[in-house]
Amino acid sequence: MKAIQAEGLAKTFRVKQKEKGMKGSIQSVFHPKTEEVRAVDGVSFSVEEGEVLAFIGPNGAGKSTTIKMLTGILYPDGGKVEVLGIDPVKKRKQLAYQIGTVFGQKEQLWTHLTPYDNFKFFAAIYDIPEREADARIRELGETFALGAFINTPVRNLSLGQRIRCEIVASLIHRPSVLFLDEPTIGLDPVVKENIRQLIKQMNKEFHTTIFLTSHDIGDIEKLCKRIIIVNAGRIVLDDSMQNLKYHYLNKKIVEMKLQEETTLAPMQGIAVLKEKGCHVKLEVDTTKMRINDALAHIDAEHVEDINISNVPLENIIMEIYKSEKGADGGLA
Amino acid sequence: MLTAVKNQVRVCVLSIKYNIMREMLNKVTFLTNICFMALNNAAFIIQWVILFHLKKDIGGYTMKEVMLLWGLAASTFGLACILFDRAFSLPDLIISGKLDAYLVMPKNVLLSVITSSTNTSAIGDFLYGILVMCIFSFSVGRFFLFLLFSAIGAVIITAFALMMGSLSFWFVRAELFGDNMVNCMISFATYPDGIFHGKVRFLLYNIIPVGMAVYQPVHIMMRFDLGSLLTVLGYAILISAAAVFVFYRGLRRYSSSSLMAARM
Ligand SMILES: Nc1ncnc2c1ncn2[C@@H]1O[C@H](COP(=O)(O)OP(=O)(O)O)[C@@H](O)[C@H]1O
Ligand SMILES: [Mg+2]
Repeated sequence: MKAIQAEGLAKTFRVKQKEKGMKGSIQSVFHPKTEEVRAVDGVSFSVEEGEVLAFIGPNGAGKSTTIKMLTGILYPDGGKVEVLGIDPVKKRKQLAYQIGTVFGQKEQLWTHLTPYDNFKFFAAIYDIPEREADARIRELGETFALGAFINTPVRNLSLGQRIRCEIVASLIHRPSVLFLDEPTIGLDPVVKENIRQLIKQMNKEFHTTIFLTSHDIGDIEKLCKRIIIVNAGRIVLDDSMQNLKYHYLNKKIVEMKLQEETTLAPMQGIAVLKEKGCHVKLEVDTTKMRINDALAHIDAEHVEDINISNVPLENIIMEIYKSEKGADGGLA
Repeated sequence: MLTAVKNQVRVCVLSIKYNIMREMLNKVTFLTNICFMALNNAAFIIQWVILFHLKKDIGGYTMKEVMLLWGLAASTFGLACILFDRAFSLPDLIISGKLDAYLVMPKNVLLSVITSSTNTSAIGDFLYGILVMCIFSFSVGRFFLFLLFSAIGAVIITAFALMMGSLSFWFVRAELFGDNMVNCMISFATYPDGIFHGKVRFLLYNIIPVGMAVYQPVHIMMRFDLGSLLTVLGYAILISAAAVFVFYRGLRRYSSSSLMAARM
């Protein structure tokens, strides 16, 4: 059985438009103008049990809306969904026992209670008997190293600790599928890494199917074997991580500030994107040149500041679009 | 089936307990709330004592009856706001997408939502109402009727608030209208129904359900009548069913929110 199956999933929002000023306000009372936003526009995909899938795309691509339809929060306008063979619309409660959800931008925990009390509350929601609940909390607390703050009220926790507790709370009923909507948003790199480790561990230890959305390429590179890229409510790419890496993620952007103006000797695998005074921006193709060699070539002695990053997601999507059009052109 | 109900009740009780714990966290606010409420209520009693010195009978009510009315109104609204406070702020939850958290729980959405907050000053109101009743018109039978009607009344006004709040699923500006209707209900509940006639009276018994929540029970407590009691009970069941229907109908239109939309 597939863990998740979606076919032609669609959702349109109606958004009120208001023109500026008093006149606009009056107008909107008598002749409200609405605009339709096709948040999800015919999306089809499936996820195997035990798979870790990344659902990525820029802000407003329709990721959260898709998750909300998969978890029964929103009624789809069109298409079919099944999660663990259950229709989220018709059997919302039955499905809720078997899935977990974490929304990075929304909190589900009671802030005045300690994580421990929160977990007990969630255990009650999922009809887990007291003794069993205590055992699971102990187990999860050990796995996710919550010991130091399990009895501190949630409002006194750091954002990273809080997200960790949110994840544990969503695991108390041992869901077979876990939905994570931007779990690393707003976290610093160390905590991000920590959360990624937890997600990985969870998949390994409990064989949990994981559906993860993010607009951070880093999340996906480290976690997922398969990736779906969405843009403007449509799937742009559905491929294995390996293929994606080979085609699109093999480039790193290196930005540097040098002590004095220098011109770099041209070299295969390094493209100069921008060169202005002491500031240089390069693109390194890691299939042709290891990043270490590239740095050696630059001569680190003269570098005052350096920043290495992935190619922004927007650029990758642009590139995929371009290459698709190119392929069409080739056929014609 | 029975265990499902038991589990649901267990969650609701836990939820209310945690709510009260949260409110008590700030003890100063908690106590000031209750004190102000008591002061407020005392002022109200003084107003009526003066009025009854001037005139023996207002809208067919004597002092004793007005106090019973006042006590029942306080206890009814109090109980509703202890148990189902969120029903009175439903539009905010709908518009800002805060129902998400309840929709991913394997429990009844409606019950989980309305029991998810508690108004602590309402605890004071509830007890105050009982006290007023005991002081001015105590009898054992009346005491139990009073508790029964507080519970039925709480269900009626919660159902009404729920229906008004659910309008926000359809209309963005329904919030104001619904709030006004609910406030209207609260204001009317503290005046004897005898002073209202014609259209207003019709309104109070049919559209805004103060008649069935407060007036009728007072009449029954003064002069017991099983038929009337059953009518009130039937009305409570009917309006609850209607409210549940409207809520779930609206829920299909629930659109959650995106963070971007929430900031606008
Ligand atoms: N509740 C809503 N009401 C109106 N428009 C919405 C709502 N939720 C999302 N949208 C719109 O739908 C689109 C997709 O949003 P979303 O799924 O939140 O994107 P993502 O999670 O990928 O950033 C955006 O254009 C957003 O403005
Ligand atoms: Mg989102």
